[in-house]
Amino acid sequence: MSNLTAFQRKLVYVGGILLLLVPIVLLGSPPDANQAPSRKRSGETEVRVKAGSGGLLSRLRQQHELGEVSLGDVDPTSSTMNLLLLGFRGIATSRLWMDAQDQQKRKEWAELDSTIKSIVLLQPHFLKVWHFQGWNLAYNVSAEWDAVADRYYWVKHGVKFYMEGRDRNEKFPDLYWYTGDTLGKKIGRSDEWKQFREFFRNEPDKEQFPNGFDPEINPDKKDNYLAARDWFIRANDASDTYKNRQRIMAEPLFRFYPARALIDYALALQREGNFGEESRAAWEEAFAEWATKYGREEFDCPIGRIYMEVTEEEAQQFQLADQDKPEENLKTLHWVARYQDMCNYRYWRTRCKIEGEADMAAAHRALFEAEEQYRSADFDSAIATYLDGMKKYEAMLEKYPDLKDDDNTIEEVMIAQLFWRDALRIVEGNEPGDDEQFPLKDMWIKHQNRKPMLLEEFQRRQRTGGRTL
Amino acid sequence: MQLSFDPRPFDLLGGFKVWGVVCLVVVALCWGIAALLMFLQSGAPGLARLLDLTAGMFRDFLQTSPRRVWALAVHTFREAARKRALWVFAVFAVLFLFAGWFMPELRQSPDMAIRNYVSFVLRTITWLTIPVVGLLACWGLPEDIRLRSLHTVVTKPVRRQEIVLGRIVGFLGIGLLVLLIVGAVGYVWVVRQVPENFRSQVTARVPIYGELRFLTREGKSEDEQGLEATGVNVGDEAIFRQFVEGNTQARAIWRFEGVDMNRLQNGQLILESTFQSFRTHKGKVDQELLGQFTLVNPKNGVRVPLQPFFNREFRRNSYNVTERNSRGEGGRLELKDEQGRTVDLAKDVLDGGKLDVEVACLSPGQFMGMARPDLFIRLPDRTFLAAYGKGLFSIFLMLTMIVVLGVMSGCFLKGPVATMLTGFIFLVGRLAHDFLQQLTSDKLLDNPKLQMRGRGLLESLYRLPTHLGPQIEVEDNTAQRVIKAIDNVELNALWGVKHLFPDFTQFDATAFVANSFDVPWDAALLPNLATTIGFCVPWIIVGYFALKCRELEAK
Repeated sequence: MSNLTAFQRKLVYVGGILLLLVPIVLLGSPPDANQAPSRKRSGETEVRVKAGSGGLLSRLRQQHELGEVSLGDVDPTSSTMNLLLLGFRGIATSRLWMDAQDQQKRKEWAELDSTIKSIVLLQPHFLKVWHFQGWNLAYNVSAEWDAVADRYYWVKHGVKFYMEGRDRNEKFPDLYWYTGDTLGKKIGRSDEWKQFREFFRNEPDKEQFPNGFDPEINPDKKDNYLAARDWFIRANDASDTYKNRQRIMAEPLFRFYPARALIDYALALQREGNFGEESRAAWEEAFAEWATKYGREEFDCPIGRIYMEVTEEEAQQFQLADQDKPEENLKTLHWVARYQDMCNYRYWRTRCKIEGEADMAAAHRALFEAEEQYRSADFDSAIATYLDGMKKYEAMLEKYPDLKDDDNTIEEVMIAQLFWRDALRIVEGNEPGDDEQFPLKDMWIKHQNRKPMLLEEFQRRQRTGGRTL
Repeated sequence: MQLSFDPRPFDLLGGFKVWGVVCLVVVALCWGIAALLMFLQSGAPGLARLLDLTAGMFRDFLQTSPRRVWALAVHTFREAARKRALWVFAVFAVLFLFAGWFMPELRQSPDMAIRNYVSFVLRTITWLTIPVVGLLACWGLPEDIRLRSLHTVVTKPVRRQEIVLGRIVGFLGIGLLVLLIVGAVGYVWVVRQVPENFRSQVTARVPIYGELRFLTREGKSEDEQGLEATGVNVGDEAIFRQFVEGNTQARAIWRFEGVDMNRLQNGQLILESTFQSFRTHKGKVDQELLGQFTLVNPKNGVRVPLQPFFNREFRRNSYNVTERNSRGEGGRLELKDEQGRTVDLAKDVLDGGKLDVEVACLSPGQFMGMARPDLFIRLPDRTFLAAYGKGLFSIFLMLTMIVVLGVMSGCFLKGPVATMLTGFIFLVGRLAHDFLQQLTSDKLLDNPKLQMRGRGLLESLYRLPTHLGPQIEVEDNTAQRVIKAIDNVELNALWGVKHLFPDFTQFDATAFVANSFDVPWDAALLPNLATTIGFCVPWIIVGYFALKCRELEAK
């Protein structure tokens, strides 16, 4: 080389560069944008098309799903930050976590939000970060605010945070589920459930949401439980599509959430005093989902795969099979029963069925209206309506005796009795003794041990008019 | 939005006394050691040489020529510009172009949006300019010495302190230029970035803060132990606020001084508060906690209960006394005292210039939390530009300290070591100052009521194996008294060492500007200015001596 002139050396360098370019192109060229797997951000899961374009490394990356893009959306900012920090990502992340805790301690919410955003830029595929901070925003930060509209804002902020996490990690069902869980449970069951459920369909911030709903979390203007159900379905789909098991709970429990969301929806309608056709239809749909869809879903257990909705005929077949091969210790029905117990399958099945009946809806409505009459000091009407409701209730319990041991049923009956008796005391000066006949007498006597605890609930409802969940 | 610290007026005289004591001790120590060394080395002539050097310093400084300093400063400025220091603008431009990617969009309240944008701009300016100017300052003189370009200067009739001052002024010129340009870009960016409907709130509020005291739930100013009454601790980790119980006689009372109708906004008394709410039961979920102000004139005892207000937590609660209590004919302000008599705001309530504002929580079983800066009387606003400019001035003062520190280090250290020394002092002053403060003041920062025991080395060594926590008092015996006496010496030394490290966190005026407050002179600008002068003067003298005494050929 030392004999070459400067120009000749340059030519040699150019030649060397061109020579090296060939293997680089063959090995490392990026995939063709037109053939690369497409994605959409609407929240729907989709099966990824395996693309075969690009260089050898690109093809191998796609084939074995090793690229970051195979986990979910890639945020260029996040990648840039990680590259710029070289090997100091861990230190930077730790510092940010400490800052976030300090800001939370000092109630500096704008700064906290900013820090959280920086943390997820550095740890975009660490699911626990999304889980922890999503919960933190929706539950802890929201609870720190006094105004209900402010609390609702932070609940939504937590939900949106989960949704963003899902975009980055779309192959993992966990964040789909957390999104659904927060939409359902936090909005539908917190102390402010009445306001939150209303806000979900009718945003308090009219200036920002003139249409009355936040299109990011409720594009179809649904009830919060129905929106949650969509996310639970997506969670199950993601689990099926990408074969990634969730790490939240036992599989039979995780899979029942789409059906459970329908049950919660129906329960919420009743809680709000809606006992009409809408409520009945909700229960019917919940029953259909529970018994025909979730009930027929197969789950792994030590003796193979089982499902929970077992017909009489199938039960006999299982028994016969178990008798035929006693040495294999199959006992299918034993495992079915264990799984049913795990998710309280039979109870919810019966509950959905019974609540879908018009007579049951009439019984609930009567008890609800009677309580309203009591609170408006119309005690005579309340006594009559309670009697009517309790008679209807008694008839339904005769038809479905399993429900007599259900905690919710016991509570509803006992509270109704307490209101009815109090109304009688006010109007007539006394209440019926145990030697007299009155509807639901058996339950009232049987569950006297629960009375002290339920009295507290009765007094709370007397004071505030609020109904328990 | 709320401040999570208490902006107290700076005690200039107290600060000057501490500065004098520390300077005297350090000078005495340095001079004593130097005298001893020179005496041991050269005997009496050594001492004479030291005296001559000391007298020479006064002569040199008195004969400083501003012309020569300016010439050296211009030279330094050009040199720095040639070293492509101004490339920092490119980094700044890139950051601002993509800032939106990193900024969360908080539309909940204008305060939160403004706070985020202003914090981002001021922090970016701070962290971009300090490393650039700091590196230039640390490497300037050592490089000149290495390349022998300083030799061409020292052969001219230039005094050593003029070289030091010239360097400092030159680097500060570069720093100021960068600061002004990025500051102007940052200002335009903030104003344009804030949503249009929030822009009216981009302002600089001017508060009058009062002194806060509490009454117990029985309405007493002393608790059962005879101590001054305090609010309730509801379990917050950061004990900054104290809480008053609702529907009791517990009160938080602010005393404001210098309240004059002429100073108020259009003659309107506006109380702004950022109280926190704490519920012990659900109460009315859809209703915020209810509070009430009572205006009390301490001079004539007139008490005027005002219309109750709902406390909107983490937001600005602006209570315009004039508007909210105008019930007279034609909306005329008609304040009624507790006896129902009509009183005049100017003549009866504000007579004497002092005003007590009592705050009560009216919601039974609930608590309202407050600290001193949570209630103030709002005077006419200043422009956001004024507050922003003061924020930039604070950054410039910090830059000055870094430049002086860097140049001083460069006078006796090589570039990398000077950078390390400057960086170390900056980091200790920025990150560990609170810790040092806590060690030397024996009070926990988060909870000043709690004493921090076992701070001394020996006591810590005793407490660790005996498992005694910081809340437990050790037994009183001779051994412990000896330990404490020794620890006291060491803690006093630590107190002195703490004052050798400037508190760089105090230069951060972001909390004021970002929360739409004017940057106050007495609580922010004056202490920053005093700190800058207090540290820079000794550092310049150290730099002068170092350059005078060092052998320039020793690269």
